[in-house]
Amino acid sequence: MKTIEVPALARVEGEGGLYIGLEKGKAVEIRLDIYEPPRFFEGFLHGRFLQEVPDITARICGICPVAYQMSSAFALENALGIKIAPQVRALRRLMYDGEYIESHALHIYMLQAPDLLGKESAFEVAAIAPDVVKNALRLKKIGNEILKAIGGRSVHPVNVCVGGFYQWPDAEPLKALLQELEWGLRVSIDSVKWALTLPYPDLEIDYESVALHHPDEYGVIEGEVWSSKGRKLSIADYEKGYIEEHVKHSNALHGHTVDGNTYLVGPIARLNLNHEQLLPNALKALKESKLKLPLKNPYKSLIARAVELVQSFEEAIELVKNYKPEGPAHVELKLKAGEGAGATEAPRGLLYHRYQIDDNGLVTFAKITPPTAQNLPRIEADLFQLAPKIVKMPEVEATLTAEHLVRSYDPCISCATHFLKLKVEDKDK
Amino acid sequence: MKVAVIGIGQSLRGDDAAGLDAIRQWQEEHPETAGRPEVRVEASELPGLALLDLLQDAEAAIIVDAVKSSAMPGTIHRINPDDLSAFTSDAQSAHGWGVTETIQLGRKLYPTLKNLPIRLIGIEAEQFSMGSGLSQKVAQTIPALCRTIEDEVQTFLGK
Repeated sequence: MKTIEVPALARVEGEGGLYIGLEKGKAVEIRLDIYEPPRFFEGFLHGRFLQEVPDITARICGICPVAYQMSSAFALENALGIKIAPQVRALRRLMYDGEYIESHALHIYMLQAPDLLGKESAFEVAAIAPDVVKNALRLKKIGNEILKAIGGRSVHPVNVCVGGFYQWPDAEPLKALLQELEWGLRVSIDSVKWALTLPYPDLEIDYESVALHHPDEYGVIEGEVWSSKGRKLSIADYEKGYIEEHVKHSNALHGHTVDGNTYLVGPIARLNLNHEQLLPNALKALKESKLKLPLKNPYKSLIARAVELVQSFEEAIELVKNYKPEGPAHVELKLKAGEGAGATEAPRGLLYHRYQIDDNGLVTFAKITPPTAQNLPRIEADLFQLAPKIVKMPEVEATLTAEHLVRSYDPCISCATHFLKLKVEDKDK
Repeated sequence: MKVAVIGIGQSLRGDDAAGLDAIRQWQEEHPETAGRPEVRVEASELPGLALLDLLQDAEAAIIVDAVKSSAMPGTIHRINPDDLSAFTSDAQSAHGWGVTETIQLGRKLYPTLKNLPIRLIGIEAEQFSMGSGLSQKVAQTIPALCRTIEDEVQTFLGK
């Protein structure tokens, strides 16, 4: 039996390994190993006061802290029966734009583009196209600045609370970002054009796309959970359509629909379901791309991200221009026992939280379903479909093609620690 | 000389928090140094590439982070990050953007970072368990770590 093994995947958030067993030209075994799922956080939340939850869950992912904060805040607000003020909602959308900008700019240029350009890393891209990488870092920084202006600090923002925000952010630092945001909008429109020039491997998969759908806007916060197979559920009923189960080789739970099918969450799913609701510039960029929807090639999620990058800049400009804080920044909480679910669209896909709290506002149950857990069975199924092709490739190319597929999902497979693996090179030797 | 003192780590993940804790304690013990106008203190949980933004405008930088090598837990490493080969672009490096690779990228792209003197103070970690706090051996080293930070800051300020 021929095997392809990648003990630790590069350029994914967290740590994961990939194993593919091939026999007679067919994949007989595929395992995407997960070391550290966000699952551990659920236990950690037991007994905590609900107002601590957004701050703790924000630490699950270094790339998408806002998503975890938002899903938990909405879930706990639902548990208490709280409705947030319109300006709070607008500000949460703006924060999310900041996170999309950061996350998508990073993934498009620094994580996936090296694969498409035949480079080992962003270092090599920086060597041949330093301006591309500089632009990527500048785009990313704008996202960071939005989060800093609203959240109090850029990584793990601290201003979000159950009921709204601890305080209204000053308007001035936000308005000061407008010029950079306008630059970002122009550059992101060019990013879509650039993304279309890249050589994507051929792969067509008939996905069941699942994403939030909102009646009035491109769905990111609130709305209903829609599937391309026609299933429409309220967020509170999400678990009636989608279940998770343990699989032997992974610490992470794997998601399935109740019919036992795999499904796709993330930028391709969102675009497939909600593209008509994109803002004018993003819609124009999509139309000019002549991209055929529904999008079926996982590698082309880069293009979907590029379109969403335009959307995020466009929406951020609108929201910053209209930002006028008035009234209280948060609702005063009246504690009572209850249960609530919340879901938002993290950059990587639908992120669902459900909590039970007691009369004192202490968490008695927590469930967190991250996007990557939902996508894992889909990634493995994609790899099975890819297998007949990679069997014929030299090993290095086969490994890269499989790795690239996993990376194109932008998997966030752990609450990443940040320690440095120390290896000192003695240059005198 | 404008000095940026940057602590890095995940506060909820065992010894990963050592960099953050050390920075905070150093600030408390040495307010006269930490409060100087030319000294900027940053605590960041997972900066990734945003580390480059934290280095902006600095004329020297000290980064305090948890490290993992084969040394005894609690060992303090004083390192010139340019001597590190922790980042190789092969599949062995799972962490998207660590400190050394970010610095290397910054040095490659930006003239202001090219020759920026950076000292990396690493503290050898024992465990990174969720919610466990610092290991005893690491916690015992925090005072020595504060002295090391103060020493490095004074060295830069004296230049």
